Amino acid sequence: MAALRQYEALLLTVPEITGDEIKHLETSLDKTIKTHTGSTISFERWGKYKLAYDINKNDYGVFFLTRFEAPEGNNIINDIKTLLKVKLHTVVMRDMISLLNPKHPLTYQRPRSLEEAPTRETENFSRDNKMSGFFASGDDKDGMDEE
Amino acid sequence: MTKKIKLKISARLVKKRSRRGTNNRPKMCRFCSDKEQIYGIDYKNSTFLKGFLTERGKILPSRISGVCARHQRTISQEIRKSRVMALLPYSGPAF
Repeated sequence: MAALRQYEALLLTVPEITGDEIKHLETSLDKTIKTHTGSTISFERWGKYKLAYDINKNDYGVFFLTRFEAPEGNNIINDIKTLLKVKLHTVVMRDMISLLNPKHPLTYQRPRSLEEAPTRETENFSRDNKMSGFFASGDDKDGMDEE
Repeated sequence: MTKKIKLKISARLVKKRSRRGTNNRPKMCRFCSDKEQIYGIDYKNSTFLKGFLTERGKILPSRISGVCARHQRTISQEIRKSRVMALLPYSGPAF
């Protein structure tokens, strides 16, 4: 039997992806992997991100990372690519499938998504940066001219 | 009687000599010295790879980043992969 190889696929989807579409994406990927006698290790949602440049007129996107293993010498990668680019082309904007190095650890680091980033209100922001004027709350509105 | 000749050294040469004294340490690739840092070079880790880009989004040359040729190659490969996934820009904002 051929040795198992570990792969990972990073998917960039449209920002307005629904829960049903995520489920459909996961099950269809799982189906194609299982037809090639492979198995999915993980499927995780990274979250919403601001993209470095616009893709299909979208400023934002949602990333998903899935890891799977399959025997080598298989046509699995081509089948997954056709699935993503033909059947799921309305949802998936970009994809990157890569072979994992068995010597490297499975842990990885990723940038912080918009959902994880700390939110700061305008009042706190103006107080921290000692701002006054339009956003300032209180009586000290020296910059405003009264007519 | 012999005359003592005072050698004149130009200011440029003095500066050059002093510079040679201070920059004596050899350039060491940070990934060669610490093997665990190699795992950080990954297309998903865009925050780390941002350190190897200029303001305009160009890849820094190894002359400036101080990385050896082998690791410079892997870094530039990962940056190009990261650009495809829109995690890093192809070009920075225009002035």
